[in-house]
Amino acid sequence: MLEWLFQSDFNAPVTAAIWSTIGVTIATIVLFAYTLGLRVVMVIRSHRRVKMVARWRNIIAAAALSAEDAESMPMPSFSRAQTTDLLEEWNRTCSTVEGNSLVNLVTLANRMGLPAIAKKMLTRRRLQTKLLAIQTLGHLHDNDSWAAIEELLRSDNTPLSITAAVALVDIDANRAVQQVVPMITKRRDWPRTRVSRFLRMAGSELVSEPMYRAIRSADPDELVYLLQFVQLVESAVIDALAEDLIRSSKDPAVLTAALKLIGGHVGVPRIEALAQHETWFVRMQAAKALGRVGQEEHLELLERMLEDREWWVRYRAAQSIVSLPFLGPNALRQIRDRQTDRYGRDMLEQALAEVGLE
Amino acid sequence: MTAQDIFLATQWVFLAYFIGINLGYLSQNVIAALGIRRYLQTADQFEAAGVFSALDIPISVVIPAFNESASIITSVKAMLQLEYPDFELVVVNDGSTDDTLEKLIDAFGMRLFPEAYRARVPCAPVRAVYRSARHGNLRVVDKENGGSKADASNAGVNACRYPLVCVVDADSVLQPDSLRRVVRSFLEDQTTVAVGGTVRIANGCTVRRGFMEKVALPRNFLALVQVVEYLRAFLFGRMGWSPINALLIISGAFGVFHKETLVEVGGFNPEAVGEDMELILRMHRIMKEKKRPYRITFVPDPVCWTDAPENLHDLKGQRVRWQHGLGQSLFLNRSLIFNRGGGTVSWVAIPFYLIFELLGPIIEVAGYVFIITCAFLGWLSFPESAIFLGMSVALGVLLSSSAIMLEEVSFHMYPRTRELLMLYLIAIVENFGFRQLTAFWRLQGLIRWWRGGKHKWETITRSASLSDDS
Repeated sequence: MLEWLFQSDFNAPVTAAIWSTIGVTIATIVLFAYTLGLRVVMVIRSHRRVKMVARWRNIIAAAALSAEDAESMPMPSFSRAQTTDLLEEWNRTCSTVEGNSLVNLVTLANRMGLPAIAKKMLTRRRLQTKLLAIQTLGHLHDNDSWAAIEELLRSDNTPLSITAAVALVDIDANRAVQQVVPMITKRRDWPRTRVSRFLRMAGSELVSEPMYRAIRSADPDELVYLLQFVQLVESAVIDALAEDLIRSSKDPAVLTAALKLIGGHVGVPRIEALAQHETWFVRMQAAKALGRVGQEEHLELLERMLEDREWWVRYRAAQSIVSLPFLGPNALRQIRDRQTDRYGRDMLEQALAEVGLE
Repeated sequence: MTAQDIFLATQWVFLAYFIGINLGYLSQNVIAALGIRRYLQTADQFEAAGVFSALDIPISVVIPAFNESASIITSVKAMLQLEYPDFELVVVNDGSTDDTLEKLIDAFGMRLFPEAYRARVPCAPVRAVYRSARHGNLRVVDKENGGSKADASNAGVNACRYPLVCVVDADSVLQPDSLRRVVRSFLEDQTTVAVGGTVRIANGCTVRRGFMEKVALPRNFLALVQVVEYLRAFLFGRMGWSPINALLIISGAFGVFHKETLVEVGGFNPEAVGEDMELILRMHRIMKEKKRPYRITFVPDPVCWTDAPENLHDLKGQRVRWQHGLGQSLFLNRSLIFNRGGGTVSWVAIPFYLIFELLGPIIEVAGYVFIITCAFLGWLSFPESAIFLGMSVALGVLLSSSAIMLEEVSFHMYPRTRELLMLYLIAIVENFGFRQLTAFWRLQGLIRWWRGGKHKWETITRSASLSDDS
C-alpha cells in the first residue's frame, strides 16, 4: 500500500493530500497516546495520593488537637514525590483551624522539615509549585521569607500576587495591610472576593486606618472601587466617611457608593437633597438610605418618590415606606389608598405583597 | 481550458478549503488549550477564596417554559437549591397548552402577586405574575404565547430584579455551583456583559432530583456522537474564540448577561431562529458602535447538562434550525462584517463563520457530489478519491482527539478508561455517515434561511433522565 502511495504518479493536489493525511494521522496517534498516558499517570497518582492522605491525615489532625502529639508523635517518612500532596493536605488543615491548633501544626511542620522544602519550592519556576510554597510559608508565619514573598506581591501574575498578599497577612497582618491596601485600586486584576478575604483576615481594626488613608487620596474612580470593601472597616470610620463624601462629592458614582454606606442618622439633610438628584441611581440609593434611617419626617418625601419617573426609584421608595418601623399594616394600606398616582400606588401594592400584607 | 484543467482547479479549491478550515480549527485548539490551562490555574485560587462574600452579585435566573409539564417541577426544585448566596427564579409560562402553570401553582404554593410589571424589552402580553408562598425568591410570569423562547425570555428579563440575568432551558440540569462559576467572570472584569459555560450531554447520565448524580456515556449512537461533537464545539470551538473576545455564541441552554446591557441592546429577538447567537452578535455590534469596552466570555467548566436528540427526526430538526439561525444571525448583524472598528470579531470570527460554518455545507456537499460525479465520468480514480476521503477523515479525527485530550487534562468527566476509548472510537466512526448526513441537513437549513422560513418553539423527545418521575 505504502509502496503504491509513493510510487504512483499523482498530481500535485493528491500528493499534498497524501502527505497531509500522513502528518495528521501521526499527530492523532501521538495525541491518543498522550491522552492514554495522562489517564495512566492520573490513576497512579490518585492511588498514591489516597494512600498518602490516609496515612498522614490522622497524624496532621492529631497534631492540630494536641501540642504534645505535635512535638513528639512518631512520623513516617515521605518521598519527594509525595511532598506536594502532603503540603496540600497540611495547608488545607491549616485553613480550617486557628489559635493553638495552628501553632501545633507549625510545630509539626518544623519537625517534618516543611519550611526548608517550601523555601526551595519558592525558587522553582512552575506556578503551582510556587503558589503552594507561598501558601505554606504564610501558614508557617515564616518571617524570614517576607522579602521574597513581598517581591512576588508585585508580580504581574494575578494568582501569584494575590496569594502573596494573603501569605503576608498570615505572616504579619499589621505590616501587610500597610503594603497591600494602597495597592488595591491599582490591582483591579485581583478578584474582589480575594481582596475582601484578606481584608477580613487582617481584621477591621488593622484595615481601618490604611483604608481611610487610601480613600482620602483616591480619585473618584478609585474611590468607588474602594468603597466596595468599606464594610470591612470599623463602623465609626464608615460613618465619618459617608458623611464626608455625601457632603463634598458631586460625582454620582461616588454619591451612590456613599449612600450605600449609610446605616444610621448620618447626613440626613443632604440625603433629602439627593432624593431630588438628576441621576436616577442616586435617587434610588437615597430612597433606600431614607428607609434605613427610618424617620417619620421622611415619609412625605418617600411618598413623593413613589411618583418618580424611574421604576427602580419608585420600587425602592415603596420598599422603604413598608420597612418604616412606625407604620403598621393599616397605616400602610391607608398610605397606599391615598396615592393618586397609579404607578406609585401599584408599586406600593407590590411592596406590601412582598412582605405578605396583600 | 480543458475539462481536465477545470477538474484540477476544482481539486485545488477543495484542498484550499480543507486546509483553511482545519488550520482555523487547529489555531482555535491552540488558543483553547492555553486558555484552559490559564483558567484552571486561576480556578484553584478562586476555589480557595472563601467561596462567597457580600461581593457576589445577585442573579435572576429566567426559565422560559412552554409545555414543560413533564419536567418543570424537578427543574425548579433543583434550581431552588443552587449554591449561590442571592438569586431569584423567574419561571415564564409562555401560554402553555398543558398543565405547566397548574403544576407550578400546586407544587410551590404560587399566589397571585400585584407586580408593578414594566415592559422594557418587547414581549407578548403578561396575564399575571405569581409569587411562591414557600419560596420568597420564586415567581412565575404567566403570559400569552409569543411563539418563541426569545419572547418568553424577554418577559422574564422584564420581571428580573437583579443586575445579572441567567437564562436557562427548563429542561436543563445545572451543576449546583454553576452560578458561582460563571459569576467569576463578572467579578474579575467589570466590562463583562455576557458569559457562557460548557453544555454537556445528559443522555446516559443519572439525574436525581434535578441534579447530576452520575456521569456516563449514552448507549444511543446518535447521542454518543453528539457527546464528541459537544466536546469539540465547547472545549475548543468556544474556548478558542473567548480569549480574543470574539465569541459569537452563548448557548441558549445556559447564559448569564449583564441585565442593563441586555435591555440596552433590546433583549432577545423574538423573530430570530437562533436567538442565542443573534443576541451575542447584536451585543458585539452595539457595543462596538457605541465604542464601549466590553467582554463576552466563556468559562470551560461544565455548568449545564442537556438532553440531546436520540432519533434522526429530532436531530435533523435541530441541525436545520441551527443552520437557519446562523444564516439569519449573521445577516441581521451584517454590518459587523469587515467593519473597520470591529476588531477580531469583524476580521477573524465572522469571516470564519461565514466561509466555513455558514457556507461550509455547500462546499462539503458539493465536494461529495463532485467526487461521485467525477468517479462516474471516469475523471477520478477510486484510489485518489480514497486519498481525499482519508485526509478528510484524518483531520476530523485529529480535531475530535484534540477535544477529548482537552477534556482529559481539564475536567475529566468520564473517569472510566472504557469511556475514553469509546470516545475515540466515535471520533473515527462519526466520519462515516453521520458527518455527511449533518452536512446535508445543514444545507437544508441554509436553504430554509434563504427562503425565509419561520421559527416556533421546538420540542424534542426526551430521554427519561430529565422527567419529573426519574
